[in-house]
Amino acid sequence: MVLLGKIALGLTGTMLAGMGVVCSEGMIEVNVVERAPEAQHVYVIAPAMLVPIATHFIPRDKLGDASRQIGPYMPEIRAALGQLRETEDFVLVDVKDREQHVEVQKIGGDLIVDVHDANETVHVSTPIRAISSTLEQLVDSGIDATQ
Amino acid sequence: MRKPIQVLGAVCLLVASMSGMAASVMAAPQPERYLHVKVEDSKDGESVNVNLPLSIAEKMLPSINKGNLHNGTVTIGSADMNGIDFKGLMEAIRTAPDNEFVTIKQKDQDVRVAKSNGNLIVHVRSSEGEKQNVDITIPLKVVDALFSNAKDNELNIVAALHQLSDAGDALLITVQDTTQHVRIWVDSRTSSD
Repeated sequence: MVLLGKIALGLTGTMLAGMGVVCSEGMIEVNVVERAPEAQHVYVIAPAMLVPIATHFIPRDKLGDASRQIGPYMPEIRAALGQLRETEDFVLVDVKDREQHVEVQKIGGDLIVDVHDANETVHVSTPIRAISSTLEQLVDSGIDATQ
Repeated sequence: MRKPIQVLGAVCLLVASMSGMAASVMAAPQPERYLHVKVEDSKDGESVNVNLPLSIAEKMLPSINKGNLHNGTVTIGSADMNGIDFKGLMEAIRTAPDNEFVTIKQKDQDVRVAKSNGNLIVHVRSSEGEKQNVDITIPLKVVDALFSNAKDNELNIVAALHQLSDAGDALLITVQDTTQHVRIWVDSRTSSD
């Protein structure tokens, strides 16, 4: 009985530690509410760490083009994302017209995009660290593909 | 004998608390400064607000090496300089007392360039075609920083941004025409509202 308890404790500890590692880069949240032409609701929440890992499974030749396009801008992107993480929360872009309202803001360690219009509402929240590591992974994959 | 010691103790306590407060104020981080751009179009009912932390621009610019922009410096071609010695011109403006330097009055356009309270001010009133007003107020420290590089044909954008972040809240540029209103300003607020 004691042995079973120890095994259960070990398994629970391993699971918690695993969950902690997987969630260490935060969560990506996508919430889409469509009102017309028909009502639909899509809500996805996933550990952000899975995104750079997922890029490993994309064929290298497919990543080459994206990597070539983004590669030259990486120094600027690195500098911007690094500083963005350190700044306080703020609204980066806010665009309104008669039908639509788009807002891009930094809240905590996340970059959040909200789009509201008459037909749908879209909310995407992505940890800035995950954006960084995904882009780095993307560029590295492209470099590997050319070698 | 006991009373002076009590008074001395109270004074010491007051001095210690005040120096502690001063140290905490001095150690407080400088609030983030934002460059705000607001474009409003009354005809289409559109508004665009961009709020860029100056620290991000300062960190990003030196890493951009494309076209005329290198290490936070823009190089101007000699053809674009039109033989004008901008550094000499700025030195002359800086040392001159507050005054109106240029006044051009035409049938459909008024232009005024002046120096006032440490700012370089440009006003343009145009009624050619559609009516348009442009007001530019740039702190001279920012203009100095812009021309702070050794080479005459280089503009140091990073130094100018740094000066801008040290300057107080300022409305830099406004452009108003019949339907559109553009404003560019600097302050510590995290949004344009």
